[in-house]
Amino acid sequence: MIICPNCQHKEMSGAIYCSECGAQLIDMTITTHKIFTAETRQAFKDSTGQVQPIPPPESLQSWISLNMIESGQILPLADRTEFTLGRSAEAQPIVPDVDLTPYNAYANGVSRLHAVLKLVQDQIIIMDLGSSNGTYLNGTRLIPYVEMPVVHGDVIYLGKLKMQLLIE
Amino acid sequence: MTNKQDYYTLLGLMRNASAEDIREAYFKAARRLHPDKNTAPGETEIFLDVHEAYEVLSNPKKRAKYDSTLLPEKPADIPLDQRLLFSRESLVRLTEPQLIYVLMEFSHPANSQAAPAPSLNLCLVLDRSTSMRGANMDVVKATAIQIMRKMKPQDIFSVVAFSDKAEEIIPASPSTELSKLEARIHMLQPSGGTEIFSGLEMGYNEILRNVHHAQVNHIILLTDGRTYGDEDKCINLAHRATEQGVGISGLGIGSEWNDNFLDDLASCTGGSSMYISRPQDIQKNLLDKFNSLGSAYAEETRLDFKIPEGIELRYAFRLQPEAGVLSFNSPMMLGPIVRENNLRILMEFVVQPESTLQEAITLLDGKITVSLMDEPSPARPMPICLIRPVTDEARTEIPSLEIVEALTRLKLYRLQEQARLEVTAGDYDQASEHLNRLATHLLAQGERGLARTALLEAEHIQQDKSFSQQGQKEIKYGTRALLTSGRSTED
Repeated sequence: MIICPNCQHKEMSGAIYCSECGAQLIDMTITTHKIFTAETRQAFKDSTGQVQPIPPPESLQSWISLNMIESGQILPLADRTEFTLGRSAEAQPIVPDVDLTPYNAYANGVSRLHAVLKLVQDQIIIMDLGSSNGTYLNGTRLIPYVEMPVVHGDVIYLGKLKMQLLIE
Repeated sequence: MTNKQDYYTLLGLMRNASAEDIREAYFKAARRLHPDKNTAPGETEIFLDVHEAYEVLSNPKKRAKYDSTLLPEKPADIPLDQRLLFSRESLVRLTEPQLIYVLMEFSHPANSQAAPAPSLNLCLVLDRSTSMRGANMDVVKATAIQIMRKMKPQDIFSVVAFSDKAEEIIPASPSTELSKLEARIHMLQPSGGTEIFSGLEMGYNEILRNVHHAQVNHIILLTDGRTYGDEDKCINLAHRATEQGVGISGLGIGSEWNDNFLDDLASCTGGSSMYISRPQDIQKNLLDKFNSLGSAYAEETRLDFKIPEGIELRYAFRLQPEAGVLSFNSPMMLGPIVRENNLRILMEFVVQPESTLQEAITLLDGKITVSLMDEPSPARPMPICLIRPVTDEARTEIPSLEIVEALTRLKLYRLQEQARLEVTAGDYDQASEHLNRLATHLLAQGERGLARTALLEAEHIQQDKSFSQQGQKEIKYGTRALLTSGRSTED
């Protein structure tokens, strides 16, 4: 059985559209993932005129830090290759790896699970996790669930919460 | 025997036909071809062949002997190209019912020669009731004359006008002495009520005088009114017409006529129905219909089928060339195969859990028969069998884009259908909710005019507990028109 995400109507397995509200019940977008290439990455860098990327370190000590621009604080992230960013909420079982609640996350429109930062081989990647208010990389809104490479100095908005990536 | 069709083809049978099938096919052919009834040239000869075929095939010994002389069937003999698409590769063993969609497409074979236009045996059945007075009647008359002038020498044309009773205006004949006939059409005066059956019956009898397979036999019914009490008689007549290979199409003018009735009438013969809101559209619609009849490659496309227990054919819709709901029972009349515009049918099946215990599920098993326009003897029937394997694990797969696209448009038509059913059932809130949703989707597709109509109807239902006659038809035929064209005309 399929439950329509839009109107909660029950449809038989194999249905393509909800017969109640006409919402599409299948995901036709699987093939559009990972379309971003080195060129797009270059284009972003050129347009913002950011500094040259610094190769990430081999160790997992602290490969990336978040410079919280509003408060001026620097959050070093260490010991893992993947961090989810978001804010904790009461009565919610999932807690993000990096809880941005102290930085006024709620008022800035940060979702509970907003985005993820990953170290894959020697590349750092950000991906929006279907957040309500979106993730912006150097002013461009990311497509949810599409990975984007980032470099040292990139500016990221989670909703309206602004931070700069400092890559060691 | 070389240049003649084999006995099976002659009777429209597959080679594995049962004795019962053979008997049935013979009686069917005999009813239609018997010389007492059918005087069209060449048909008596076919009747004799059919009789000979039956003599052989009905006798098991003779049949076995005959079978041994038959050459194996060549795939090149297939009268139509066909293509099948399924919404999923396999069905899953589930404890609940599941859905699967099938898209069938039939077209004339790629290697077929461009044949000349088929001969027509056409009857216009015109409503001359009082309400037709004025622009409607004038345009109808002018268009009838225009069509008559377009007839080829071998075509047969007749006109019947009806109000409370029917009158033969032009008897079925090849078109000669045009000016005299035109004058008769000009003299038509509107008066009286609307009794469709009387007109339809007379039109049918006109057609019957000249029925034969290798031509388009068609009745075009034009009406602006509701017929009272004779709907069932009309539907019965349509079934008889189907058996004789006669199609019926309906054109409804204005908002007073009964669209469900006209749809049923047309769909059981494989014909189409149309909605004409303004007199100035009469001419275009009628001529379009006439042209589409004239571009037929094959007629009387007919699907005879069986559906196993545990499977339900829940919906069948012709997407192309003329959109419309089909009958869900065997035989399903699919209408003509037109050149340049393939016949596309979408079916929705519900599979019950008990059927998924098998390794593979037959959704439908049957055959397609057609009459080819340039071919006096019957074409070989094509088997059609929809089978899907069953797996234990569900697989994520993206259904074919063509099916999704077809459903994207069909869902609008079905929302509208649902709203109508709900109004009939007295479920007014649900109905207007569905219309509101329909309006949202229409807006998303840029169909502003139609979306507005849907919203107005949603309100109308809340206030008056019914659709408005006009809005109801506009939404129905508007969403249906989206299926064929992709976009509607905005007024």
